[in-house]
Amino acid sequence: MNTPPESLKQLQTHFSEAVFSDQRGLIAESVMQQGELSAEQRVGIYRNSVHGILWQYLASLYPVCNQLVGEKFFEGFSDLFIDQHPPGTPFLADYGDGFSAFMREHDAFAKIRWINQVAELEWARHQAWHDTNQLVTDFSLLATLTEEQQLSAQFQLPDSMQILHSPYAIHQVWLAHQPEDYAGKIPLEEIQLQQDDYIIVWRSERQLQQVQINEQQWQFLSAVRQNKSLAELSEQFQEPVGVLLASAIQHGWIISFRNY
Amino acid sequence: MKEHSCGIGLRFEHIDRILKEQPNIPWLEVLSDNYLNPNSVQQDYLLSIAELYPLSLHGVGMSIGSVDPFNEDYFSLLKALIDRVNPERVSDHLCWTAVHGMVTHDLIPLPYTDETIRYVAGRIREAQERLEREIVIENVSSYLQYKQSAMTEWEFFTAVVEEADCGLLLDVNNIYVSAMNHNFDPLDYLHAIPTKRVRQIHLAGYEDRGTHLLDTHGNHVTEPVWDLYAHAAKQVGNIPTLIEWDNDVPELEILLAEADKAGSIQLEHTA
Repeated sequence: MNTPPESLKQLQTHFSEAVFSDQRGLIAESVMQQGELSAEQRVGIYRNSVHGILWQYLASLYPVCNQLVGEKFFEGFSDLFIDQHPPGTPFLADYGDGFSAFMREHDAFAKIRWINQVAELEWARHQAWHDTNQLVTDFSLLATLTEEQQLSAQFQLPDSMQILHSPYAIHQVWLAHQPEDYAGKIPLEEIQLQQDDYIIVWRSERQLQQVQINEQQWQFLSAVRQNKSLAELSEQFQEPVGVLLASAIQHGWIISFRNY
Repeated sequence: MKEHSCGIGLRFEHIDRILKEQPNIPWLEVLSDNYLNPNSVQQDYLLSIAELYPLSLHGVGMSIGSVDPFNEDYFSLLKALIDRVNPERVSDHLCWTAVHGMVTHDLIPLPYTDETIRYVAGRIREAQERLEREIVIENVSSYLQYKQSAMTEWEFFTAVVEEADCGLLLDVNNIYVSAMNHNFDPLDYLHAIPTKRVRQIHLAGYEDRGTHLLDTHGNHVTEPVWDLYAHAAKQVGNIPTLIEWDNDVPELEILLAEADKAGSIQLEHTA
C-alpha cells in the first residue's frame, strides 16, 4: 500500500484552499521568499493560472454569454463560479454544468434572465458536441413489421439530441452573435426577446446542428424521448403523427426504432 | 538525407487540414485528456489521424503526485484509448493536479523530499501497471519553492524516474523557466538528468512577466531555449522533439516551421 505522506496531504490541502478559496496564508508559510515576489504572491501565480485556464475554458463554452455581458464581467463572474464550483473530474469537458443555474441565482442577472437561457443553449450545444455517434437504422424495415409490431414500435433520437424550450428568443440571440451569415439572422436590437422558442441541437457525424422547430414538433420529439410507442404517439398527435414522424426521420432527428 | 524527428502538438483547429493535406510531420502529440470519450467526435477524428501519423499521448489527468487515489474512470478510458491508437509514448507530469476531489487542471509542483520520491515513484509504478506499459514523466515549470524541499529539482526528478523505472520527458523550456525563476544554471539541470531514460523532448514559448517567466505555451520558442536545446540534443542524441503551442494557436505553417527549426538544430548537434 502506497500511503501518501502526511506532510504532502497537508501541503496539498493548504494549496487547494489558496487556489479555490483565495486563502493563501497557510500554504504561503510553506513557501520560500525569493526575489521580488512574496510567498503569497508566488502562490497567487498558481491561483491566477488555475482560474485563467478555467475562465478561458468557460469563455469557450459560453462565447455568446461572454459577448453579451462583456469579457471583464464574464471573467469576474467565472472567478466566483470557479471558487464555489471547482472542477470535480479530470475531464475538462464535464466542467461548466451549472453555470447557467449559477447565473440565475446571481443578482446581476435578475433583470436579464434571458442571458441565462442563452447559457442553457450554449451548454446544450456543448453536450451535443461531446455526446456519442450512433448508426442510423434502415427505416424501410419498419414496413416489414406487422401492424401490431408497428404500433408497439418506439423511436430513438440521437444520444446527442438536446430539446429546449425557452420563453425568450434565444436561437435568434445566438444567431446574432455568429460571425457567419445564417438565414433569418437579424441584429440583436431588432429581436423581440419575449417570445417562446423551441430548439433542438444534435450532432450528425462531425457536424453540430441547431434548428428552431415549432411547438408541435417540440412536443412530438419530447414524447419520443419518453419512449412512447407509435400507438401512444398516434393517440396524442392524431392525424399529423404521420407527417411529424416522416419529417423527424427525414431530418435525422429520429435515427432508429425498436419493437417489442 | 537524414530526417529529423521533430513533431508538433495536434490542435483541434488543425485537424481537418491535416487529414486533408497530410503534411509531412514525423509524429504528433495529442492531449489525451481531450480524446478519451469513446465514440465522441474528438476520438472519431483521432482514430482517423492515428491511421496517418505515429502518436504520442500526453495528459495532465493522472495527477501522479496527488494524495488522492487514482481516478478509475480516467485510467480505464486512457487504457482503452491506448489500445485503440497504439501510441509510441504515453506521458504525464511530475506534479499534482487534483486533491480532495477538486481538479485544478494545472501543474502544481511537489516538495523535493525523500518521502515524496518514494510515494510518487510508487504511484508511477502503479500507473505503469494499470496501463501495462512504460509511461514517460515530464518536468514542470515552477514559480515557487517549498521550504521543506531537501534537494534540487533535478536530483528529485532523477531519483523519481530511477526508482519508478519510467521514461523521462525533458521539457527544455520548463528547465529554462524554472532556472530563471529560481536562479540556477539550466546546464546544471541538463547535465544531471539520466540520459538513457529520455524518451522525448518538449519545446515551447514563455512570457516574461517582469518578476518571473510564465510558461504559457503561447509563443515562439525563445533564443535561450533554442541554445539550451542544442546542448540537450548533443547530450541525449536524436530524441523525438515536440513544439508545444496551446494558447493563441497559430497557423499550421508556423508550427511546422518551428518544428523544422528544431529539426535543423537536432541534426546539427547529433550528426
